[in-house]
Formats: sequence, structure tokens, C-alpha cells
Amino acid sequence: MTARSSLLKTASLAALVTGALAGTALAADTVKLGYQLPLTGETAQYGQDFRKAAEIALTEFNAAGKPFKAEIVFEDSRSDAKEGTNIARKFVDDKEIVGVLGDFTSGVSMAAAQVYKEAGLPQLSQTASHPDYTKISKYQFRNIATQAQEGPYNAKWMLSKGYKNIAVIAEQTDWGQSVVSGFTEGVKANGGTVVFSEFFNRGLKDYRSLISKLERAKPDAIYTGFFYEDGAQFLRQVQQLGIKTPVYSTSAAYSPKLIELAGDAAEGVHLTSNFLPTDPAPHIQHFVTEWKAASNGAVPGQFPAQAYDAVRIMLAAVEKAYPNPTREKVRDALAQTKDFPGVTGKTSFSADREAEKELVKVEVKGGAFVPVAD
Amino acid sequence: MIDPYYLQQLAIGLSLGMTYALMAIGFTLIFGVLNVVNFAHGEVYTLGAFAGLVLISATAPPVFAVIFAALAIGALAGFSLERVAFKPFRRFTDEASLKSRAMRESTLLSSLAVSIVVREALEIVFGSQMRSVPFEYLINTPVRVGPVILVTGDFIIFGVAAAMLAGLQYLLTRTRIGLSIRAVSNNPLGAKYVGIDTDRTIIMTFVVGSMMGAAAGILTGLYYGAIFPAMGFVPGIKAFVAMVMGGLSSIPGAVICALILGISESMATTFVSSGWSDMVAYGFLILTLIFFPNGLFGARRERV
Repeated sequence: MTARSSLLKTASLAALVTGALAGTALAADTVKLGYQLPLTGETAQYGQDFRKAAEIALTEFNAAGKPFKAEIVFEDSRSDAKEGTNIARKFVDDKEIVGVLGDFTSGVSMAAAQVYKEAGLPQLSQTASHPDYTKISKYQFRNIATQAQEGPYNAKWMLSKGYKNIAVIAEQTDWGQSVVSGFTEGVKANGGTVVFSEFFNRGLKDYRSLISKLERAKPDAIYTGFFYEDGAQFLRQVQQLGIKTPVYSTSAAYSPKLIELAGDAAEGVHLTSNFLPTDPAPHIQHFVTEWKAASNGAVPGQFPAQAYDAVRIMLAAVEKAYPNPTREKVRDALAQTKDFPGVTGKTSFSADREAEKELVKVEVKGGAFVPVAD
Repeated sequence: MIDPYYLQQLAIGLSLGMTYALMAIGFTLIFGVLNVVNFAHGEVYTLGAFAGLVLISATAPPVFAVIFAALAIGALAGFSLERVAFKPFRRFTDEASLKSRAMRESTLLSSLAVSIVVREALEIVFGSQMRSVPFEYLINTPVRVGPVILVTGDFIIFGVAAAMLAGLQYLLTRTRIGLSIRAVSNNPLGAKYVGIDTDRTIIMTFVVGSMMGAAAGILTGLYYGAIFPAMGFVPGIKAFVAMVMGGLSSIPGAVICALILGISESMATTFVSSGWSDMVAYGFLILTLIFFPNGLFGARRERV
């Protein structure tokens, strides 16, 4: 027993030493990034898409003959704030990591951000859209329009269509709360009324009680803050109950899966987006082709596109900081990002590290997302 | 005159409660009646749904073939689950081990382990995103009953749950196998001494209970139109609460409590935010444990 365990120890020690040696040998021309994202658990589908998008971006970068190679360490946060902070500590302790991507949800991104703030490690989330996230420190960046931008934009859109009394529902998360507050402010500022607002738990199966309750307030239209799984269930049950009130949503619901899961119940849903896979621009079509090749011909939604851009923005910043990129130099390079030509439009970071994005209005027509003028 | 709004909420609550009851029946048979701590029932439910989905996408079969496939996978899953997570703990046949609570409750962890492995394996094979069921298989065409709108699935689920309940009550009270299940649950050692094949009885119960779990999975999948690896978790918790409320060993008790749970949740949505409706289930669980340690319908066993 003891002989065996000491043998094991020696073996693992040897492995460690060779691993460390290999690490330093690589470090000369390899730059390491961290990516924290949910790879298992209830939100795993998003994290797995992010990893796929990141790998496409990484392969392209490493094949482009740059002066250095990049490497991304993926860590599974399970969308759990505690896991997220543990990963953040791990990334901070790894002195080779000069920049971090992720996390998926605003809640976990903000929990991890406290660690990155102390250590001075730049963090770029592809999706965290809670207004407070970038306010944590000068190290937090995001590549997504916030609900503070999107809410008022959608409020004006709905009011311009003549909907004065609007019901709002959103998932019970940091993000969902920012959906409701951003939109409600926009509606009030433009002379409309929010007649009903309520939160539901992510992953709720049966929305019929909520829908019946909502309809009692007799709204002209419903504004929703959900992702495609919840969205598909909601839309189907709206149809089942024979309700015809128009439904509007945020860019978070913009995914081909929404239409696949909801079928004809998704017809007529209006939402905003900043990525259109049908856009003929060559760099967008290039990403769509690569994505299809990696996922059995499925069309990418907005989130993978944002992750792809986030990784490329980070890599561009590292390249600018090269040679000898430090965490501080990468942060400064990120902050200078201007008109980065991504698949989700041109991205610049404002002084408070917000991505300035252009939104496109979209309607579901004939089983597809179709851009509309108003 | 009652406000049609409340009738609609009542109908929604009943149909919600039926989906919980469907899951609770098989769960209570294994966990409550046989008295075996089993936390892998939710994954049997998920496996049943995936078996149906795979068959649907492969060959477009008639609906009864889909249900049959789910039942077959359920039986297989129940058998394998028992073999992997439960049988190893029965290898000691001495009196002390058979009486030991610790031995019996260690399956809490082994069944939980199996459930995690199955769920993660499903995620690797099928991906963790929701998969849609082709529309012609869905059982949610709206049906108007007076002022209330229901869907076809509500009636199908009601029929299946009623048949399961009646069948099991008959099995447990009128047949030899039912008698032996109750004997094993009451006193495994005593059952062994009077010549009951305890191993066979336990395997049979697992097979029957898991078939019901798998049927519940595919029916709920066709009802909501979305199938994914984590789908068994929430219904598992609701079924657990219904079982504890019903007094662990009583299947009709679990069914009634599942209905109470569903109605309470949908009614609660009227008065509090929907975000709090899960509180109802946990609130009931705590209240039951504090005020009715034997459950609402159970009196037979020691405290739940």
C-alpha cells in the first residue's frame, strides 16, 4: 500500500515537473487567456456554444501567422456564482493568463468581477448585460448591448406602434430585473403605461397561470425578458390559451432555436438583435459557414456570434500589447478598441467600457427572422 | 357566479398537478412503498422521454409505438439501476446488515451518483439544449370546455394517471406480488425468513416503477414539446414533495397531494409573483414535516 502510494506520488511529481517545464518552454511564444463559462448544468447549452465559437476564433488566429500563438483555458462555472469566483481566483493565480473572457450570466460575471478587480485582470464578458457589471472596476468590459440601451429602444418601438398599455414579464435574475427596469423607464419617459410587471423562475414549464393573470390586466402588448427555452414555452402556451396580444422581446431570445421549439406560435413575435446570419457581408458569411461546419449545419444565434467577436476583440488587444503583454497593457489595449469589425457590427468601447452596438428590428415571419423597418 | 378566471386557474392547476402525479406514482412505488431510497427516478423519466424522441426522429412511428419504446427503456433502466446502485448494498445477508439503516440509506448516494452519470452522459450524447418534438406528435391541441381552455394532453395524462393508480392499487392489495412487495418493505428480514424471494421482488418493483417513470417522461415531453437532459429534476422534486406529503407509502395519498400542489401553485400565482410559486412546494414540505410527521395520508411507518 505505502510502496504503491509513494510510487504514485513520484509519478505525479514527475508529471508535474514535466508539465511545468513544458509550460515555461511554451510561454516564450504563447499567450494564455482564461474563459469561464457554463459547460454543464442548466445553462450548459450556452457555454458549449461559446466554447465552439471561441475555438473557431482561436484556430483562425493561430493559423494566421501571427508573431505568437494564443491558448485559451476553459473552466466550467455551471452558472454558479461560487464556482465562478473560484475559477476567477484560479485564473488570477496563473500568472501567464493576461485576459479573461466570460462568464455567461450577469450574476456570475459580477461575482467573479470582484476577484478580477482586486487582481487587475481584464475581463470581457460576451453576454453580461446588467448595468452594474461594468461599473465594478476599470477591468470589466462587455460585448453586448445593455438593457439600459435596449429597453428604451424597444419601448419607443412599441409606443410608436400605438401600444400604450404594456405588460412586462421577465425571468427572476439580475438580468431580468434590468430588462424590467430599463424598459419601464423607457415606457414612462415616452408617455406609455406599464400595466403589469412580474418575474418568473427560469426553466418554469407551465406559464398558463402567469399568462391568465397577465391577460386580466388587458394589455395592448406584452414585453418579455426571456431566453429561447422559456420563450418557446411561453409563446406556445399563449397560443394554446387563444391569446392574440402581440409579444415583443429582447435580443436574448434571438436564436433559431426559438422558432424551432415554438413553431408557428413564434409567428409575429417582434424583437431586436445585433447579429443577422443572413447578412451577405463576407466576414459574417465566413463565420456562419465555419459555425455550420462545426455544428451539423445549424445556423448560429446571436450569443455565439457575440462570443466569437469577444474572443477576437480580446486577441486583437493582446496583439496590440505584444511583445510582453501584461494584464495592465491588455486592459489598456482593450479600452482603446475602436470600430472593431465584428460579425455583430462595429464595436467600440465607450469611456465606461460599454460596447456601443447598433440594434436591428426583427420580426418572425414564415418561420424565419426577418428584419423590419419599424 | 364564479369568475371564469378562477375556473381557468383551477383547470391549469389540476393539469399541472396531473403531470406531478404521473411522476409521483412510480416514484412512490419504489421510494415510498418498497421503502428504498432512490434519487435516480428523475433520470429514468428523462431516459423514457429520450427513448421516445429517438424513435420519433428515426422512423416516425405511431404514438403507441413511442409509448411502448419508452416503457421498454424504462423497464431496462429500472433493472440496470437496481443492479448497479442497489444490489451491491444487499450482498451482506447477515441480520445486522439487513436491519441497518445506514446500509439502506447508503443507496441515497449510489442512486444519486447514477443519476448524475446518466444526466451528464445524455448531455454528451444529445447536447444539453432543448430538443423539440415534431408537431404532429404533440398532445397539446386546445380544447374548450365551457369558459375554460384545456389541451388534449390534459385528458390523456388524466387517463394514464388514473389507470396507473388503479392498476397499482390492484397489484398491491390483490395479488401475490403486491403482497410480497409490501412484506419486503415492512420487514426485509422477515420476508426472507418466510420464503419470499426478496431479490426478485425488489427487481420487479424497480422494473414496474421505472416503466411508469419512463411513461411519465415521454408523456410530459409530448405535452410540453421539449425534451432535454435536465428535464427530470424539477418534476422529481415535486414528486418527492407529493410523496412526503402523502405519507410516503400511500400512492393515492401522493396523487391527491400532487393535485393539491398543482392547484396551490397555480392559485398562488394569482396572489403572489410567479417567481415565488416554487415556494409553495417547499413550504408544504416544511409544514408537513413539522406538523404531520406521518404525512397527510400515511400512518403506517415511523416518521418521514
